Amino acid sequence: MAKVSLIDIEKRYGNHVVIPRLSAEIADGAFVVLVGPSGCGKSTTLQMIAGLEPITAGQLRIGDRDVTDLPPKDRDIAMVFQSYALFPHLTVFDNIAFGLKIRRLSRSEIETQVRGVADRLRIEDYLERQPKALSGGQRQRVALARALVRRPGVFLMDEPLSNLDAKLRIEARSFLAKMHQEIQTTTVYVTHDQSEAMTMGDLIFVMKEGAIQQAAPPLEVYNNPANMFVAGFIGSPAMNFLELSPAGARLVDPANDFDIEVPERLRPALSAYHKPKVVVGLRPEALRPAPRGAEPAGAPRLAIDVAQHLGHETLLDASRGPHRIVARVASADDSKIGETRPFLYDFDKMHLFDSDNGVNLARVGANAGANK
Amino acid sequence: MSSRVVLQSRGRALRRLRYATPRIFATLLAFLLAAVWLGPLALIVITSIKPNKEFLNGPFSLPIAPTLEPYQKVWEGLNFGALMQNSLLYATTGSALAVSLALVPAFALSRFDPPGKKYIFALLLTGLMLPQQTVLIPLYDMLRWLHLLDTRIGLIVVHGVYGMPSQIVILRGFMTTIPREIEKAAEIEGATDFQIFYKVILPLSLPGIIVGYTLNFIAIWKEFVFALVFLNSEANFPVTVGMLKLNSDRYISAFNLPSAGLVISQIPIAILFILAYRRISSGNFIGSVKG
Repeated sequence: MAKVSLIDIEKRYGNHVVIPRLSAEIADGAFVVLVGPSGCGKSTTLQMIAGLEPITAGQLRIGDRDVTDLPPKDRDIAMVFQSYALFPHLTVFDNIAFGLKIRRLSRSEIETQVRGVADRLRIEDYLERQPKALSGGQRQRVALARALVRRPGVFLMDEPLSNLDAKLRIEARSFLAKMHQEIQTTTVYVTHDQSEAMTMGDLIFVMKEGAIQQAAPPLEVYNNPANMFVAGFIGSPAMNFLELSPAGARLVDPANDFDIEVPERLRPALSAYHKPKVVVGLRPEALRPAPRGAEPAGAPRLAIDVAQHLGHETLLDASRGPHRIVARVASADDSKIGETRPFLYDFDKMHLFDSDNGVNLARVGANAGANK
Repeated sequence: MSSRVVLQSRGRALRRLRYATPRIFATLLAFLLAAVWLGPLALIVITSIKPNKEFLNGPFSLPIAPTLEPYQKVWEGLNFGALMQNSLLYATTGSALAVSLALVPAFALSRFDPPGKKYIFALLLTGLMLPQQTVLIPLYDMLRWLHLLDTRIGLIVVHGVYGMPSQIVILRGFMTTIPREIEKAAEIEGATDFQIFYKVILPLSLPGIIVGYTLNFIAIWKEFVFALVFLNSEANFPVTVGMLKLNSDRYISAFNLPSAGLVISQIPIAILFILAYRRISSGNFIGSVKG
């Protein structure tokens, strides 16, 4: 049990800055997910917390200790790797017992602890097998057992589920979440999969180019993204962005017959904004074709390009001029490809972003991102 | 109508032939090469079990009254038992020394990027390519200085050191295939560098070690020049040097005796090769040499 504090952490390879001054506080017992596209620095950050990558500058604290320059074994951490990194020449039992043996625990102690954790992870029947005789899901649990058995203060997980097939991954997700609820150990979890981040974390750190773009609970990140990057990265299909010109309380693109009303709550932010273009963000579920027969006059009219029927819902790709959107609609929707329909949008779910730097206008002046 | 059918089937046969031709050709070539390699060996084996008179009547004929007498004669005449013992000693310990010396540098070269790594590696490869004759005199001087001339231990040390560069190349290639994450996992679990090396890297390198050891064993078993130059006492001679005696008048007139000696000298290698064959020819080894 320990909190993790990153204080002005910096990582450079020669002159190449990978992570410029990153600060974050991970509370004791929290489940924090670092998420971002590849190359965003999330894995490097994790490796620095683990002690596998040296920290160029700044301070790392685990619990009350400064561990910046300590080797991994003195940091009170355990780690689960993407490839599981099991020792192929050892049995499952010896894999789990590896760290305990190095710490010179008594044989009976090791036996009890390994069996205990194996029992919990339902791998007690495989203890005498070698890793190569296990399925992917079983290997993953062995890796987890090896981390759990030492009762570390902090768990580090580097894309632990990405080598599993889709069905197992969903199972493992809820398994890990349940596990965390039981043991309440501080966990730092790295993934590039935004849905994994949404479902697993108490707190999501969305990263890009070595910087945390937003640190917030999943729904906060989803409903109130700090900027266009976060808005576009979290959520699938991604948020729709339309670049329009502000005109009073409306946003327009006369060339393409676009004329959208801005909701009351966003008007102050818009009037304080003085650039010629603004980006409107609307999630796919905030858009739908107007019901047939009751078609409002002002609604933007978009041509249906593709309809993806997923069974429980349908995704409509629609466009007009340079503007392209995806709408998530009920599977009963009867839009035909090629037809043009007026679209309604959900006032409450509209976002406005700065067209230059992508900042969410509603958040300017308020708390503009956790780390900026 | 029927002529077209004939044409069609002939076309199909031609096409089949076109696909089959390279394969037939390759098979024939393989047999031919095997014959070139195995022919002399077969001749030696056949000669070794023929009475000398039979050989003089027809060197290539099959034995009429096969006999193991030549084997008995050379075994006793050359004191083959002692020679084999020596060869075995040199090959087992010399290879063990070469592999042991190579393990740590191979690991270092597979993992770290010391400045001038390219040159270190080039230097090692040069060591591989140096003909034995070029190092003969310096080694002789060194052994004399160390008072190790004409001693078993001296020859073992020479073999160990001489075999090391190739062992480094083989083991390094093998060790680069061990995923880094496994080491990192061991590090996280609390292992020291030394523990990582002997608890994780060493066991995982075992297939490479077996391959390297086997190749080195064969090389030492066949080695002749070092043993000839650095040893004087017959009691220290390995098989290769001891067999020089077969070149004397007493044996050279009887063709079956040298043949029997040659066959005996190759038996341990044949056994070792059969034991290690699968390892040597497996993809593991191929993966271990490139890279």
